Amino acid sequence: MIDDAKLAVLTDEELARHPFDELVVALQQTVQRLEAGSTGLEESIELYKRGLRLHAACETRLREAELTITELGRRGVTGAEPGEA
Amino acid sequence: MADQPSLWDARPDEPETASAAPRAALAPRILRVTDLNRRVRSLLDADAVLADVWVEGEISQPSFPPSGHCFFTLKDANSQLRAALFREELARAVIRPEHGMNVIIHGRVRAYEPQGVYQLYVESLTPAGAGDLHARYEALRRELAAAGLFDEGRKRPIPRWPRRIGVVTSPTGAVWRDINNVLRRRYPIVELVLSPSVVQGATAAPAIVRALQRLYAQDRLDTIILARGGGSLEDLWSFNDERVVRAVADAPVPVIVGVGHESDTTLADFAADLRAPTPSAAAELATPDGTQLMTILGRLRDRAATALIGRAAERRRFVEGEQRALARLAPDIGSARQRAADLIDRGGRALDDRVERRRMLVAGAHDALRTLSPSATLDRGYAVARAADGRILRDASAVAAGDPLQVILARGTVATRVEEARPEGAEELFT
Repeated sequence: MIDDAKLAVLTDEELARHPFDELVVALQQTVQRLEAGSTGLEESIELYKRGLRLHAACETRLREAELTITELGRRGVTGAEPGEA
Repeated sequence: MADQPSLWDARPDEPETASAAPRAALAPRILRVTDLNRRVRSLLDADAVLADVWVEGEISQPSFPPSGHCFFTLKDANSQLRAALFREELARAVIRPEHGMNVIIHGRVRAYEPQGVYQLYVESLTPAGAGDLHARYEALRRELAAAGLFDEGRKRPIPRWPRRIGVVTSPTGAVWRDINNVLRRRYPIVELVLSPSVVQGATAAPAIVRALQRLYAQDRLDTIILARGGGSLEDLWSFNDERVVRAVADAPVPVIVGVGHESDTTLADFAADLRAPTPSAAAELATPDGTQLMTILGRLRDRAATALIGRAAERRRFVEGEQRALARLAPDIGSARQRAADLIDRGGRALDDRVERRRMLVAGAHDALRTLSPSATLDRGYAVARAADGRILRDASAVAAGDPLQVILARGTVATRVEEARPEGAEELFT
């Protein structure tokens, strides 16, 4: 998971390579912490910056992603059965 | 090998009608073999019953030459008939012909001129005896339902944010293209793992099971999609195969089955964790909608901003509140000071009064004391007589002649003796 400490050392580029769902979860948690209202103003500003970075990373991932396809046990045309992979 | 012409390994030519017309002849006509066979063929082709026939029999000695076609003899107790099942029809067939199998075949009867034989060209074949496909479907459905394979409790939720999705389908069909298109548009973040399989014909069921098992051997798969396009009940039959249904039920990760059209429900659909009406719908159900995701993400960012602004406003309100509280307190301090000053003033004044009263009291007391003092009396000419024991004399009878007396005057004392004591007649002194 992406925690405060990890986020502090990651570049935006490294962050954008993280699994998308982890980015979304981290963003959600950040927003929830911010909304909980138990953080001071200074910490809230840090959380907000963190949220902005995560949001940007999510958007980048979503925009630049290209569907990757792996094929198991390559085979020819219909009819013949593939040899077991 | 496939090129070598043989009785079995060929399709009938298109019907020829014109050239088969009988030639006018008076004398007995001698036909060439080719002509005769052509005539027989024309006759068979013209027969409506033979062109669309249903026949039941037992398969004997099926052969599967490399051409991909299948040839066998269909027989009953008294008679037999040659049958040809071409590659395309074989691929679509629900069952694979086996020796001794009782089947019902739909097809047409035609002559094969090069070898002078007629045969049954199979379009579809279904097992005989077990009743029709619908009945078999129902029987198997009840059996597997009783075994608990379709229980709602078995169904697992589909992961909301899949990273890897396994797909079992035919890689050459439109279905695979559709799934690709949906995911490319919707959630291109996901990685697809294609486990290809034929999805039609007698070989499909074991092939689908193998393809599923190849995926089951993969780790880090979140969801599996099993998909196939629409077709007849026969076309979709492999998805009603018990082996396939059980393999779906055994999946280590949630399976979405999307077979055929909305109205087609196969047994594999019942065993799936989620049933999708079509292959494209399966791809949609397996993934979040990326276009909506952008909106959702934007909303999260907005919520963060709102929360921060709220926090800042809260802080400002707090500070302002403190300021107001201080402001409210300020006049009180003033008045307190004023009150304190008043008190001090009044206190001071009260003190002064009291001191003055005391001073006057003391002065009065001093005057009074002075008035009461015997020295003042002595000053006025009175004297005090004391007996020898120090007692002040108030009564003449307390002394006798000869007793020593001390007379105290305003200034000095006189020592004397009593000449005579006269207890009466003292009043004359003041008269």
